[in-house]
Amino acid sequence: MPVTLVLKTPPPVPLEAELLTPDAIAERSRADICALPVNLGKRRMRLDDFFDVDGERSDEIEIRGDASRVKWIGRGMTRGRMLIRGNGGMHLGSGMTGGAITVTGNVSDWLGAEMKGGTIRVQGNAGGQVGAAYRGSLNGMSDGTIVVQGSAGLEVGMRMKRGLIVVGGRVRDFAGLQMKGGTIVLAGGAELRTGAWMVRGTIVALSSISLLPTFAYACTYNPTFLNLYAKHIATLGWTIPFDAREGGYRRYTGDTCVPGKGEILVWTGF
Amino acid sequence: MLRITGGKVYDPSNGIDGAVKDICIADGKIVADLDGGSSIDATGMVVFPGGVDVHTHVAGGALNFARGLVPETQRAARKFLHTSDRRSGLGGMTPTTFATGYLYAGMGWTTVNEAAVPILSARHTHEELHDIPLVDKTSLVLMANNELVLDLLEAGEIERAKQVVSWLVWAAKGYGVKAVNPGGVTAWKWGKNANTLFGPVEGYQKVTPARIISSLAEIVDALKLPHPLHLHCNNLGVPGNVATTIETMKVIDGHRAHLAHIQFHAYGGDDWSSMRSESVRLADAFNAQKNLTADAGVVLFGNAVTITADGPWQHLLYELTGHKWGNLDVENETGCGIVPYVYKDRNLVNAVQWAVGLELLLLIDDPWRICLTTDHPNGAGFWRYPEIVQLLTDAEFRKAQVKKLPPKAQQRIVLADLDREYTMSEIAILTSAGPARTLGLSQKGHLGPGADADVTIYHEKPENGRFFTSPRYVIKGGQIVVEDGDVRATTAGREFVVHPACDDQIEGYLRELFPKVYTMSFENYPVEIERLRHAQIQPCL
Amino acid sequence: MDRILNGVRIADTFAEAFDMRAARVVITAASPKWARTAAECMTGFATSVIGCKVEAAIESELGPEETPDGRPGIGVLLFGFDTEGLTSRLVDRIGQTVLTCVTTACFDGLPQSPERVPVGGILRHFGDRFQSSKVLESQRYWRIPVMDGEFLIQETFGIQKAIGGGNFLILGANQDAALGAAEAAVDAMRRVRGVALPFPGGIVRSGSKVGARRYKKLIASTNDAYCPTLRGRPDTATELPDGVNAVLEIVVDGLERSSIERALAAGIGAACRPGIVEITAGNYGGKLGKHHFHLHQLPLD
Repeated sequence: MPVTLVLKTPPPVPLEAELLTPDAIAERSRADICALPVNLGKRRMRLDDFFDVDGERSDEIEIRGDASRVKWIGRGMTRGRMLIRGNGGMHLGSGMTGGAITVTGNVSDWLGAEMKGGTIRVQGNAGGQVGAAYRGSLNGMSDGTIVVQGSAGLEVGMRMKRGLIVVGGRVRDFAGLQMKGGTIVLAGGAELRTGAWMVRGTIVALSSISLLPTFAYACTYNPTFLNLYAKHIATLGWTIPFDAREGGYRRYTGDTCVPGKGEILVWTGF
Repeated sequence: MLRITGGKVYDPSNGIDGAVKDICIADGKIVADLDGGSSIDATGMVVFPGGVDVHTHVAGGALNFARGLVPETQRAARKFLHTSDRRSGLGGMTPTTFATGYLYAGMGWTTVNEAAVPILSARHTHEELHDIPLVDKTSLVLMANNELVLDLLEAGEIERAKQVVSWLVWAAKGYGVKAVNPGGVTAWKWGKNANTLFGPVEGYQKVTPARIISSLAEIVDALKLPHPLHLHCNNLGVPGNVATTIETMKVIDGHRAHLAHIQFHAYGGDDWSSMRSESVRLADAFNAQKNLTADAGVVLFGNAVTITADGPWQHLLYELTGHKWGNLDVENETGCGIVPYVYKDRNLVNAVQWAVGLELLLLIDDPWRICLTTDHPNGAGFWRYPEIVQLLTDAEFRKAQVKKLPPKAQQRIVLADLDREYTMSEIAILTSAGPARTLGLSQKGHLGPGADADVTIYHEKPENGRFFTSPRYVIKGGQIVVEDGDVRATTAGREFVVHPACDDQIEGYLRELFPKVYTMSFENYPVEIERLRHAQIQPCL
Repeated sequence: MDRILNGVRIADTFAEAFDMRAARVVITAASPKWARTAAECMTGFATSVIGCKVEAAIESELGPEETPDGRPGIGVLLFGFDTEGLTSRLVDRIGQTVLTCVTTACFDGLPQSPERVPVGGILRHFGDRFQSSKVLESQRYWRIPVMDGEFLIQETFGIQKAIGGGNFLILGANQDAALGAAEAAVDAMRRVRGVALPFPGGIVRSGSKVGARRYKKLIASTNDAYCPTLRGRPDTATELPDGVNAVLEIVVDGLERSSIERALAAGIGAACRPGIVEITAGNYGGKLGKHHFHLHQLPLD
């Protein structure tokens, strides 16, 4: 029986709700869940000032409503499942190490920032800095999986170290900025400067994208490792092409201005 | 009115070495005796004059630039929450203004000297000092790469240079003169440095670092500033630089000078792999030259952020670390470099640096001439001073730490052979009486009648073997501001400035020069005294 | 007591087998032909751990659903006495025969095994610092640039305890009959997973005994008790019943006891056919190997 939280009305200013996690809720009674502290600006308030709470002691949580101004949902979670029927706010799943989050609507910036494990799926759009490093941090996400069906904003996967990001819609500038490892699949195109300052890692573009002049074309081929990835990504409900009978990938290495040993693979289907 | 009774008083300026006596306070000053008022029972406690930090970086453009460069440390920093009588702030390696005051006072320090202020951004420094509660402040004005001054030295116009320096110190509302890598930061504008004392500085024919140093020392003495020329020597941090330091000391001979963070200037060896301690050599030379004072600049293992005006040195450090760095140029005046750094006990060079600071503190025989600092935040955060006090007062503990260093490092240092333990009285000198005297703040650093009532009271039995960590009481200007490590009242500290004698005519010279060399107009340049909080002019000698 | 299967006597004896350690390698390629080419090359000269330092053979053919990259593949098993030796054999053999073979990729076939050894982790150096890696589901894979694209190899391979030296002997009326029975046995046994037949075509014609009577330093010598041309000589005692003119041995190594039992049963079942007099097995009195496979306890028929 999941714990259900229904947002009474969207807060007027962002609500900071770091304790909206399975870790915090799993062992708590309904009364304790209602009393969980949240911050509205500088005012400390109760969770039930904003949500109708049903259920208790479960690591499955369902949130309903337009929570696009509720920040830090799922922050640092290690277990359990969260389902948001509606939108989520900034920093969703930030720093999480396990468990799963699903959002039926859109989310804001910093989705899964610096996450270390677990899975996030967003059916709508995401903002910028998906799986990215916070300003000044050396590394972004270091493991885990983020799948966004819609579009995403700037700096997707910035400084990510490991893990997988799949974006179905278009991403904005600087996807894979300063990437250190991991894999980003861009299924819906990108704006400018993809892979800028990339050190390591792989960006798989399923359609033609604009490339920086500091990325060097190597060859057109079918890398075997993508077969492995295709199998794994299929379990997430996505497909990536890999079969030589259907096409090949143009491999660009870069960013040579670093100098980086990353790669951008651009699919050329027949 | 307040009477502190029953505590063991350490007031080395007045020859009191642990005697149990009353300390009486009225109207913010120590008085000989008192009728009525409240009282503090200090039985089982020790009573110290409030700590004085003679060299720290806590306010202004450089520090704010550093804060901006390390947002990841801000996220991890200790949070000071806003309460009805306390402002919010962040700790970390570059604490914000309000937090700086709470942290210093929370440790029992009541006066701090901001060691490096560019005149062009002095307004910013004073605004931040304005916001640092509880402690009194002074600030030092960067002068040794000021091209207005250097141009005059090149032309041999030492008298006019003296007038310009005097005018600039008052324009910046400073307390004294700071020299950082004399000539080197000027050369950095050409991408170069000034590694030899007697070579001409880039862009000049006659001006050498030696000439800058001796001229400024002469000028500071002629202007009778309460604090001597405060000097960050050339070749900071470089293996073999002890020779430069000793040479510099000879150049200054005959004048007062305060050598900043001498730990960074006491290295032997030819390169990083052969770098070793030369603290014995430096201490011997320093002990012999009585016109000099210094502060230690101790390095402790852990996080730091290097912030200096020494642009070329900071660039070198950036190349060593390969991480982010910041570098600023201040037109006509100076530079600035920021490099976040971590001192590691497994790192041979860092291990030697850690030892050298302690060695110098133990080898310099006169505690009145050496002050306790970490060149915060370059060597370690200032809140770690209690760790250094423990290392100085407990030889056994200290030697156990030496044994943990890599064996190769242990061969490069002498710390294991030093048995000296600082007495309580010597600690009071090191942390309060000495720096107060060095700064020329006669009302600080002692508990005799007429002194400012800045008093720190500690439990005699230290917790964790570490003294100073959590004062029982801190009294500032006669008011209890900290109790049991908790801030109880937030008073605003004062800022001490000097107004040295100056020939009015120099303004005409500068007014004409400004539009040719500065992007700021002459009218906007001097800092208005009203911008300082509780400014107080300290008389020159 | 004897047992009869399809008219063939099954001797009441046991095969004696030994503790070994094993690795399993999955080789994939663009086509089944090239996966098999690499596998055959890799498992060449790997009949006996004594003389070849490893025993290795093809275990299975794998379809796209069974390989990590969805391409045609071959499973190969390798057996050795110790982990260190096995690791060296893996590195040498994969490096010389799989890495070099067109279109191949190479994966660990024992992913659940907690004991891991570096294989791709060593072979990656062939990439001369041009190699790169990907981590997927906690496994690291190395991508080594080669002339036809990239050679993909898993960083670590699993090692597990295994059993070597399971066997049975086919005593036939003549060489032709014995060979036909042995070939049928091999076909049946190769359909069992988790086992491999290291000898040429799966069959040993030169069964051996420990040591030698006449050459002091020889580790093994011909199994004269089962050599038909030596029947009747006064200087040897034969084990051959009447009517036997040719003997062949099947040797099988396997990951688990149960896989060997299934393989032996399948092989013996297929070998019991006209022209075969008896099925027996080789042992050393039970004193050397701790795994005994009693023929009468196998799941025959």
